[in-house]
Amino acid sequence: MKTANYKNMILHIILISFILLTIYPIVFAISNSFKELSEAFTSTLSLIPEKFTLENYTGLFDSIPIVGITINTLITASVITVAKVATSFLAAYAIVYYQFKFKNVTYFALICTIFIPFTVTMIPNYLIISELGLQNNIWGVILPQMADAIGIFMLTQSMKGIPKSLIEAAKLDNIPTKYIMKDHILPMVKPAVTSTSIWFFILAWNEYVWPVLILKTTENFTLPLALQLYISSEGGTNFTVAMALSVITMAIPLGLYLIFQKHIINTFTTSGIK
Amino acid sequence: MLEKLKPYLFLAPAIVLLLVFTVIPMVYTLYLSFFDWNMISPTKEFVGLDNYINILTNDTTKKVIFNTFFYIVVLILFNCVITYIFAFIIGYVVKRFKGFYKVAFFIPSVISLVVGSILFTWILNPISGPVAIIGEMFGFSIPNWSKTDGLVIIVLSLIVSWKVFGYNFIVLYASVVGVSKEIIEAARLDNISNLRIFIDIVLPMSSATGFYILILTIVQGLQYVFTPIKVITQGGPNYGSSNLIYQAYHEAFVVYKTGQSAALAMITLLIFVILLLLEFLFVERRIYYENS
Repeated sequence: MKTANYKNMILHIILISFILLTIYPIVFAISNSFKELSEAFTSTLSLIPEKFTLENYTGLFDSIPIVGITINTLITASVITVAKVATSFLAAYAIVYYQFKFKNVTYFALICTIFIPFTVTMIPNYLIISELGLQNNIWGVILPQMADAIGIFMLTQSMKGIPKSLIEAAKLDNIPTKYIMKDHILPMVKPAVTSTSIWFFILAWNEYVWPVLILKTTENFTLPLALQLYISSEGGTNFTVAMALSVITMAIPLGLYLIFQKHIINTFTTSGIK
Repeated sequence: MLEKLKPYLFLAPAIVLLLVFTVIPMVYTLYLSFFDWNMISPTKEFVGLDNYINILTNDTTKKVIFNTFFYIVVLILFNCVITYIFAFIIGYVVKRFKGFYKVAFFIPSVISLVVGSILFTWILNPISGPVAIIGEMFGFSIPNWSKTDGLVIIVLSLIVSWKVFGYNFIVLYASVVGVSKEIIEAARLDNISNLRIFIDIVLPMSSATGFYILILTIVQGLQYVFTPIKVITQGGPNYGSSNLIYQAYHEAFVVYKTGQSAALAMITLLIFVILLLLEFLFVERRIYYENS
């Protein structure tokens, strides 16, 4: 028994070291974002700045339109999230509560779109967005991303868990569909809707691949694109400012995750993606 | 009457959007893969299978295809094999702090890959990065990984794994702990080692999810790796870190060979479709299904 405890102890130490390693990049960014550039280079290893400074953050305001860029990111992520969740909710509702022709085939075909790589759609979508005059415009980023089969899948899974009799009863009482959705279904699938929303928001906030093709000028950038401006690791003069921008970029997703972690972990554990 | 139309009405927004921005573009890309075009010129020249033949015979694209499989192997190792072992350890070997580990493992999964790429570029900087400094204390140095063939693929995969690990872990964990407790307890009473329990009981009984994660690792991993490639190496050194996804981007938006890009994309899609078919033909029938 003693050796078992001892072994367990070692395992915990390994696991916690592993976590510290995965968290280190985040701590590294936060600590260096509050250092002066010279200090960041002379004492790279120390995690607590000797001379605490905010100049990297204030420097951002002078060099790029950081407020506008943050607002762009916020609008893009919010609109994409609302659109994806709304279209997914409606589609999932149709799939779970109605019988219609080719239902299984439709659902299967929808799910298959998850596995289509973005390189297969990027050229035509680029042409569509150019044709619509939405190049270099956040609406050009948003438009192709308003539906997502992953959302349909997650909400279908959670609606399947609601007893059908409940809805049948409401239908018999002639309650209009929109009230059935709003008053009966929505409250019961709220945890799934919440975590799907948070997840979509985080994905859209971090989105890089599609915006990089569409957005061209700094004032239209989203945060991940703005970070590109600070990449050149050769020069290094921007290092601490790059860290400040990294901290701003990850703050919202991290905050949302820490607030909703139970929801998110539960949904991913129980939605049983198989 | 109206009641009959309702399901179609509710499905319409999602279906129309997915048709316009996913399915029709996919068909159009297939069409473009038979043409020589530069995205701007008003005329496209029909070249039949030339784009495909060129890809399969050209040294650069042969290297890119090889790299793609190299990425797949490394990603599977980091994001399937190691993750599976972690899921088993948290599920059955350690007794406490399970909730804490789940939450902590997931943290990097919410962070932008651009941020991850930049942070790792600095942390693993061969001259001034913290890893190099610590290494120096112990007398070893960090190779210039972003310019070294092979190593560059491993490091870029590592960045993606840092992000994906938490998500894969949660899904695998759920399936691993879904294995019946009685069977495991019985095996324990018979003094069967943890290693054997993992290989003989847990692995086969959670293999449906395992295979799903395997496919996801390949399909998503190859696309995720686009970001560190674009941010850190732009496919270099000499196409040493490019994969099918990045190369399709490079052909389309850097050198404007639309047909080449389209053909690369269709080849990628073909690989993914074959993987999914394998799952349906092989896995869905033979593997123990957890929830049935």
